Amino acid sequence: MSRYQVDKALREMVLDPSARERFLADPMGYLAGYELTDAERQALVGRDYGALYAMGAHPFLLWGWTTRVHPGDKERLRDVYAAAVRPHGYPDFST
Amino acid sequence: MREQLAAARPDVLLVVANDHLNQWFMDNMPAFLIGKGRVAQGPFPHETEEFGLPGYRAAGAPDVARALLVGGYEQGVDFAFSEEYLLDHAFILPLHFLRPAADLPIVPLFANVMAPPIPPARRFYEVGAALRAAVEALPGKVRVAVVASGHLSVEIGGPRVMRSAPDLEFDEQLVALVGRGAVDELLALATPERMLRAGNFTAACLIFLLLVGLARGASASRADHVLLDTSSTPFFSWNLHEGAAV
Repeated sequence: MSRYQVDKALREMVLDPSARERFLADPMGYLAGYELTDAERQALVGRDYGALYAMGAHPFLLWGWTTRVHPGDKERLRDVYAAAVRPHGYPDFST
Repeated sequence: MREQLAAARPDVLLVVANDHLNQWFMDNMPAFLIGKGRVAQGPFPHETEEFGLPGYRAAGAPDVARALLVGGYEQGVDFAFSEEYLLDHAFILPLHFLRPAADLPIVPLFANVMAPPIPPARRFYEVGAALRAAVEALPGKVRVAVVASGHLSVEIGGPRVMRSAPDLEFDEQLVALVGRGAVDELLALATPERMLRAGNFTAACLIFLLLVGLARGASASRADHVLLDTSSTPFFSWNLHEGAAV
């Protein structure tokens, strides 16, 4: 578990459009700069919102990141996201 | 409220709000931080780009900030401090409405309500009370008005993501209790468990506990709330002897 590193990566991509572009162009290359577990890396690369939420990623950063990198229909994003995180309830996201 | 603030003829604004992990992060997270820089400006570039929130730039008030910091130490509150920062939308949005001229020097007080562990409700009340004493101990006849922003029940990035006012019952209770300055009942209501049930980022309501501390439990002259898309937005104001808290 390196919740802080996940939050750090999410925040960087929320604050900095160029970081976001680097991630979208080469996700694994971008994430090489963070100390992540394989599961965390896979969840970020796969934009697996449910898995990241369950791991305790900061919900505010996760939602902010999701709205910026979601590849599908943004109109439906809220429903897609809610369905992904709902099974996990309210995991602890303190670092 | 803008007119009420102007009528209080403040020399300095003490602006209390929560940074949204824009300025402060878990690499160095202050629970309560006083900004003693010479400039108070914001918001962050991504907030201007994405929300269209215009810039705001005012002077800082380093001498008042330093006195409040030292006053806090005297009162048992070890504020962190910073000389350089940007203020995010939680500070800038109310300032645009309340003081569009940006002609008053600003001391920002950043409160951590987003990066757990966050201080308990009692601490917010105590910090408010300490600030009141520190304001009253300021040398000279400096008039300080307090501007604060926070919110009621809200959920961001959880299962109820962005559903408007996830817990109106909590909102109504809290607004009524803040309005009456009912400290003990507020402390009983604003527990971590109850706030989480109301919505995963409801803890920003603790900023209103800080205001109750500043008002020393006095009743507010205004306490109501308006239902918006993402939450119910409260409005409180107090007219205190030393100035105005809005």
